[in-house]
Amino acid sequence: MIAALRDFTDRVFGRGSAAITVPPFDGALKPNQMLEGAEVVAEFAQPNDLASHGDDLYIADGVAVLRHAAGAMQVVAHFDREVTALCALPDGRLAVALDGREVRVFSAANGPADTDVVISSGNMTAVNALAAASSGSLLATDGSASYPTSQWAHDLMSHGRSGRVLSIDLASKQVQVLASGLRYAFGVAASRDGAIVSESWRHRLLMIGTKGAGRSPLDNLPVYPSRLCPAAGGGFWLTAFTGRTQLVEFVLRENAYRRRMMQEIDPEFWVAPRLNSGNSFREPMQGAHLKTMGVVKPWAPPRSYGLVIRLSPDCVPRYSLHSRVDGHNHGVVAAAEVGGALYVLAKGAGRLLRLPLKDIEAEFGT
Amino acid sequence: MQETIVRLKARYWPDHLLGEILSKRWTETAIPVIVLILVAFALSGMIDNFFTPAALSDTARQAGEVGFVVLGMALVVIVGGIDLSVGSMFALCDFCALYCLNILNWPVPAVVVATIVCGALLGAVNGFLIGYLRLRAFITTLITLIIYRSAYDLLLFGNSVKIASAMPDFPSWDFLGMGAVFGIPSVALVYLVIAVFGHIFMTRMRPGWHITAIGGSRRSAYNSGIAVRRTIALCYVASGALTAIGALFFAARLGTVGGDVGIGLEVTVLTATVLGGITLGGGNGSVAKALAGTLIVLLVTNGLTTLGVRGGFNRMVLASILLVAAIVDIRWLKNRTRIISKVYVSPTYHFLPPPPSTEVGKGGPFEQNDKLRDVTLIGEGRIEAPEDVILDRHDNLYAGSRHGDIIRFLAPDYQTMEVYAHIGGQPLGMAFDRQDNLYCCIGGMGLYRITPDRKIEKATDETNRSLYSVNDDSRLRLADDLDIADDGRIFFSEATVRYEMHEWPVDGLEARGNGRIICYDPNKGTTHTVLRGLKFPNGICIASDGQSILFAETFGCSIKRYWFDGPSKGKVEVVMDNLPGYPDNINLASDGNYWLALVGMRSPALDLAWRMPGFRKRMGKRLPIDEWLFPNINTGCVVKFNEKGEILESFWDLKGVNHPMITSMREHRGHLYLGGISNNRIGRYKLANADPDFVQYDRRWGKQS
Repeated sequence: MIAALRDFTDRVFGRGSAAITVPPFDGALKPNQMLEGAEVVAEFAQPNDLASHGDDLYIADGVAVLRHAAGAMQVVAHFDREVTALCALPDGRLAVALDGREVRVFSAANGPADTDVVISSGNMTAVNALAAASSGSLLATDGSASYPTSQWAHDLMSHGRSGRVLSIDLASKQVQVLASGLRYAFGVAASRDGAIVSESWRHRLLMIGTKGAGRSPLDNLPVYPSRLCPAAGGGFWLTAFTGRTQLVEFVLRENAYRRRMMQEIDPEFWVAPRLNSGNSFREPMQGAHLKTMGVVKPWAPPRSYGLVIRLSPDCVPRYSLHSRVDGHNHGVVAAAEVGGALYVLAKGAGRLLRLPLKDIEAEFGT
Repeated sequence: MQETIVRLKARYWPDHLLGEILSKRWTETAIPVIVLILVAFALSGMIDNFFTPAALSDTARQAGEVGFVVLGMALVVIVGGIDLSVGSMFALCDFCALYCLNILNWPVPAVVVATIVCGALLGAVNGFLIGYLRLRAFITTLITLIIYRSAYDLLLFGNSVKIASAMPDFPSWDFLGMGAVFGIPSVALVYLVIAVFGHIFMTRMRPGWHITAIGGSRRSAYNSGIAVRRTIALCYVASGALTAIGALFFAARLGTVGGDVGIGLEVTVLTATVLGGITLGGGNGSVAKALAGTLIVLLVTNGLTTLGVRGGFNRMVLASILLVAAIVDIRWLKNRTRIISKVYVSPTYHFLPPPPSTEVGKGGPFEQNDKLRDVTLIGEGRIEAPEDVILDRHDNLYAGSRHGDIIRFLAPDYQTMEVYAHIGGQPLGMAFDRQDNLYCCIGGMGLYRITPDRKIEKATDETNRSLYSVNDDSRLRLADDLDIADDGRIFFSEATVRYEMHEWPVDGLEARGNGRIICYDPNKGTTHTVLRGLKFPNGICIASDGQSILFAETFGCSIKRYWFDGPSKGKVEVVMDNLPGYPDNINLASDGNYWLALVGMRSPALDLAWRMPGFRKRMGKRLPIDEWLFPNINTGCVVKFNEKGEILESFWDLKGVNHPMITSMREHRGHLYLGGISNNRIGRYKLANADPDFVQYDRRWGKQS
C-alpha cells in the first residue's frame, strides 16, 4: 500500500524510480577521441563478434566466420544462419551461436563438420555472447526470451526482463541456467569463482556464482554495457554498444507514448538507442543535436555512441576510449587483444578498429 | 476514442491561460481580495445585521483610521523596513490633537496641521536613524516604540483630566469625527482620496518606483543613482504623517486620551500589511493590497467581537492569521517563478497526417536528390546566423548576423564584408521597398528600415492589443518575415506572442497557434493585426494578384493565402498542407513561381508527440531543453511551387556538409542564394534555365521588365 503510494507520488513528481537522471561521463569515463581516431582495419556488412586464441583474430560477419591474419581476411566457416556470438576455446576450437538459438563448436582449422558439437536445447532465443569457463564448459548469455538478437531495442522498449546466463557442458550437452530474469544479459566473461555478466538495461555488471546472481561490481553506468573480454595485463575490456539519454529514460517511463511509438513507428525512427545514427532526418532529433555554425556538439545526448572501458581485475574502470556523438565509430560490441594491439568492433559503423596498446598506455600513463 | 478526448480538451479548455494569469502581477492582489470576500460572506452568514448601512459605516470609520496607519506601514515595508512604533506615534498624535484643541484652544485647521507635523517629526526621528545612520529598522522602531509610549504616559499624567473635562464644540471637528457625505463617512472619503493618490504615486510616479526599487535591491538602487538614504528617511516621515492623520480622525471621533490608546496597534497593522500580500523584506506591495489587508483584519476582529469572543482569543486569532499569511507569503515569493514556469508552458493537440514520401526511388515531388551538394560558400566562418539574404540591383549581398548587424558582401566576388548597419537585434526577413529602403524584421525588436544612405529607422514595434488576450500582446516579440504590397503596406509575420525569440523550441513544444500576421502602413504610420492564431507563421510573399499574401506556418506544415484586398478580402485559403517538412521563407522566382525553404523535416517520433500533449508537458518539465524532442532542423531543402500549390521542383543536400540548414533563399541573376539561421556561411547555387537578369525587387517594383 505504502509502496504503491510512493510509486504514485514518484511518478507525479518525477522522483525515485521515476527520476530520469543519467550519470555523466566522469572520472575514468572522461571522454576522449581515441576510438574515433583509431585505425580502420576493415569494414564489414554485418559484423557481430570478435574472438581470439591470443595470436589470431576471428570475426563473425553475417553468416560467416573470418580469420584476420597478416592483413588478410580468410573465410573459416560458413553457416546457414547469422552468427550472433563467437568465442575461442582453449583447445583451439571455436564456438558460435547461430541466430541466437543454437550453439555449435567446431574446429577452426577444418571448418564445420558433421561431428561438431551442436546444442539446441535450453530454449535459447537470443544468445549473444559466449565465453569459455575454467571448468571446460561454455558460458552463454541469452539476452531475451521474447526477441531475437537483432530486435534488442524492442526488448528494451518493452521493459524486457527475460535475460539468462547459461552454462553449457560440452561433453554432456547439458544446459544449466545460472541466472534468469535479467534485464538483457549481453556479454559474459569467466572469473575466478563464476562469471561476470553485463546486464545492459540495468547499466551494470553482475557477478554470477553457482548459486545465481550475486553482487554488482560495477553499476550506474551512463551507457548500455555489452561484451567483456579479458585483458592481457589482468582485468577486462568492457564494450558499450550505446549511451543512455534522459529522453530514452523518460520515454521508458511514458507508457502511453512508448506503446504507440512501438505500434505506429518504424523501429528505425523510435526514440530508442541505436548502434548508429544520423542516417535519416526522420530519426528523432534532440535540442542539443542542432547543428550550430556547422558543428554538431560532441557532448549532445547520444543516440549512438562508441565506448570501450578498461576494467581492473575487480571491475573498477581505469580509463576508457571514446567515439563521441559527432563521431562515427559507434555501436561497439566486442573487443579483443591480439599481438600488442586492441581490436575493437564498431558494429554501428561496420568497422574493425585497431589501437596499439603502447599508444593507449602512452595516453593514459599505465 | 482517448485521442478524441485529448483533442477536445486541448481545443476547448484554455490551459494556457492559467500561466498567463498567474504571471500577471495583479494575481497577487487577487488572492487577498478573494480571502476578503470569503471572510465577508462567512461573517454575514454568522452574524445578523452585519451588512446594514449603520454597521458598514461604523466599519468604514474604523477601517479609515487603521487604514491610514496601514498605508504608512505599507510604504515602510515596501522600502524594505518595518515600523513598530506606529502604535505609540498614534497615541502621541492623538494626544497632540486633543491638547491643541482642548487646552490650547487652537482652531481646527491649525490642530490638523500641528498633528500632522507632529507625526511627521516623530517619523523623522525613525527616518533619520534608519535612513541616514543606517540603524536596523526593527530595533530602532522597537526603541522608539518604547520611548514614544513613555513620553505619552508622562504627558498623560498631567493632562488627561484637563483634556477629558474640556468640551470643545467645533462643527468642523465633529464633522471629522462623525460626519458623512451621502452616507459615506468623512474619514472614508479622505482615505479614498489619499489611497487613489498613493496608487498613482506608487505605480506612475518616479519616487514611487524608487521606493519599490530600493525595497527590491538596495544596492542596485544605489548603483542606479537613486538617493537611497533620503528616500528611506522620507518613507518613515510619511509613515508618521499618515499615522497622524489616522490619529486625528480617531481623536475627533472619540475625543479621549486613555492609557490603552494605540496599544497593540502595530500587530493589527502588520497583520493587515502582510495579509494584503505586501512582502516583508520589501520591493513588493501596492495600495490595493494594503486596503484588502485592512478590511480583512477589521472584518475578522469586529466579527469576533460581535460573536462575543473574548479579547485574548481575538488577538490570538489575529496573531495566527499573521503567522499563516507570513508563511504563505514567503513560500509564494520563493516559488512564484517556479510555479509559473511549470504551468506556463501548455502543449496542445496538434495532428498532422503521415507526410508524403521523400525517399529516393519512391518518386513524388519531394524525392531527395543531391542538387545542392555543390553550392559554393560565401563568408564561411565570417558571418554568423544569416537567417535571410537579399541582393540589390548592384548585386551586393545583404544578410543578418546574430551580433545584431546587417552585413553586406560586395559584388562581384563577395570577399569584402562590411557592417552595413548595426541594429542590435537579430535581423530576420528582409525586403526592399519602392524607394530602395531595406525593411528588416528584427527578432525581439520589431520592424526596422534602413534607408539607402544607411540611416536606421524604427518602422514599428507594437500593434493593437487583442481584446481577449490575457498577456499584453501589443509589443512585437518575434517579427519574422515580411513583404510589401503595391500601395506600400507591409505585411509581416510574428511567429509567437507567448515566447521570446530564443525560446522558439518552447513554442514548438506547445504547437499552439500563438503567431499572427501584422500589417504596417508606412503612409499612415499605423500598425494592426490582421490574422491571429497561426502556428508559427514565418515566410511571407505577396502573390501575383497583388491582393493577397502567401504565408508559411512552420509548425503547421502548411502554406496559406490571405487576401488583404479585392473581392475575397479577409479570406484565408490553404494552398498546401501536410508538407513533409517545416516551411520557412517564401520568395518570388524569376519564372513567376515561388521558392520555399523547408527549414527542417518532420520525424515520426515528434509527429506522434504532437498528438500527445500530456507527454510533451511532462517532457518540458522533466527534461532540460537540450534533451527535448525537437523538430529536426538540421536537414532541409528548397522547393519551387506554383500558386495552385503544386511542387514543381525540389533541391536537396543529402549529407548537409556544405550548407546544413536552409531558412531562406533568394533568386538573383541566375543564382539561388541560401541563408540558414544556425549557419556560419551563405550558400550560392547556379540555377539552370533561370532568367540571368532577374533582380527580385526591381521586377517587383516594375523597374525591370
